[in-house]
Amino acid sequence: MAKARALDRRRKSVKNIRKITRTMELIATARFKKAMDRSIAARDYTRHLAKILENIGGVGADAAHPLLESRPTKRTAVLVLTGNRGLCGGYNSNIVRQSVALLGQWKSEQVPAQVSVSGKRGISALKFRGVDIAERFTQFEDKPEFAAVAPIGQEFLEAYSAGHIDRLDVVYTRFHSIAKQEAVTETLLPLTPPQTGSGGVKAKLASDEYDFYPSAASILEEILPASFLSRLFKCFLDAAVSEQVARMVAMKAATENAGGLIKSLSRQYNRARQSQITGEIMEILGGVEALKK
Amino acid sequence: MADTKKSGAVRCVIVTPEQTSLDTQARSVTLPLFDGLRGVGPGHAHFIGRLNAGEVRIVGEQGGTADAVRRLFVEGGFVEVAHDTVTVITQRAMPADKVDATAARAELEKVSSARAVGDEAIDAKLRAEQAARALVRAARGR
Repeated sequence: MAKARALDRRRKSVKNIRKITRTMELIATARFKKAMDRSIAARDYTRHLAKILENIGGVGADAAHPLLESRPTKRTAVLVLTGNRGLCGGYNSNIVRQSVALLGQWKSEQVPAQVSVSGKRGISALKFRGVDIAERFTQFEDKPEFAAVAPIGQEFLEAYSAGHIDRLDVVYTRFHSIAKQEAVTETLLPLTPPQTGSGGVKAKLASDEYDFYPSAASILEEILPASFLSRLFKCFLDAAVSEQVARMVAMKAATENAGGLIKSLSRQYNRARQSQITGEIMEILGGVEALKK
Repeated sequence: MADTKKSGAVRCVIVTPEQTSLDTQARSVTLPLFDGLRGVGPGHAHFIGRLNAGEVRIVGEQGGTADAVRRLFVEGGFVEVAHDTVTVITQRAMPADKVDATAARAELEKVSSARAVGDEAIDAKLRAEQAARALVRAARGR
């Protein structure tokens, strides 16, 4: 009996785990949809900024802004975006691996890197690997708000213009589609200059329509920080969406796996029970035979 | 686009990093440009401008009376006017009557009492002060 009972107990606990993973999957699905909606809603801003940048580029304002100018990297900053929670497949470990590789590269080039990490998972994993973390953020969950991201971006902007850092890389998970997310390293500072090369004539024609108040150069000066902040914000949004997708997929796999496990445990349990019954009948029959003699 | 011309209206779109917070038709829109207010009606010349912190006033919104004014506080940003569409691109936008007057005054107090050393810091302080003043004004205009 002992074996059958142990099997039954295991089956029960696997069933409970399946309930939990299924619930987590549903929650992750709901959060993913919300995060996705936010991410889509945020695209308008970037699109409008890009349009204005294009028009300024067309008018031929010189793009000599300190944020655009690339300096030799003497000191760099790395921002790593991970999740606060686990149980989301390779989401966190991919980011950690990517950032450790990046930090190793800076180390071999003897460039001191100032590391900021968002997410408890990343903080503990990088601490374990002996990385000196300058700044930690744990306030970002599935709904990062612009008002919370902006001060962080502002700090980087100030450090960059003061010359404390010469470069800013963000390691995060880019969201391509539900089926594809990848850990990437994106250089946010210096900003990549607005692309004016494509369709130069067309851009020029478009910009002739506009007057600039006070001037194209002054608007460029203002718009670059805004465009940096919106790009940083997009990184946070992408990371949030990807985390939910990763959790959704991981929990779906876990639920399916638990189903398979339950099936095989049930089979083993039934077999154990049946052989036990057979054994008992044999014993009774044996007893009957013995009495007959 | 064609029907806006017929009705003599401008479309006003307010975009923040998080979402498009307003998309409406109106008779005219008043914008807090960097050097003062500027009204935009139908058929305005195309321009791109820098905004100061202040109020965007949307007059005669569709579905309301012709004189109804909707006031929104925006925290700087840009505006693009083209083809009877006013697109305000700002980091923060909220209805002016949602501005908390006491908090706004406290902010102004804090900003103006801060000490600034150096050209850049002074510039930043003046800007912050100006933004705080605009916030207080928006709260008072209720």
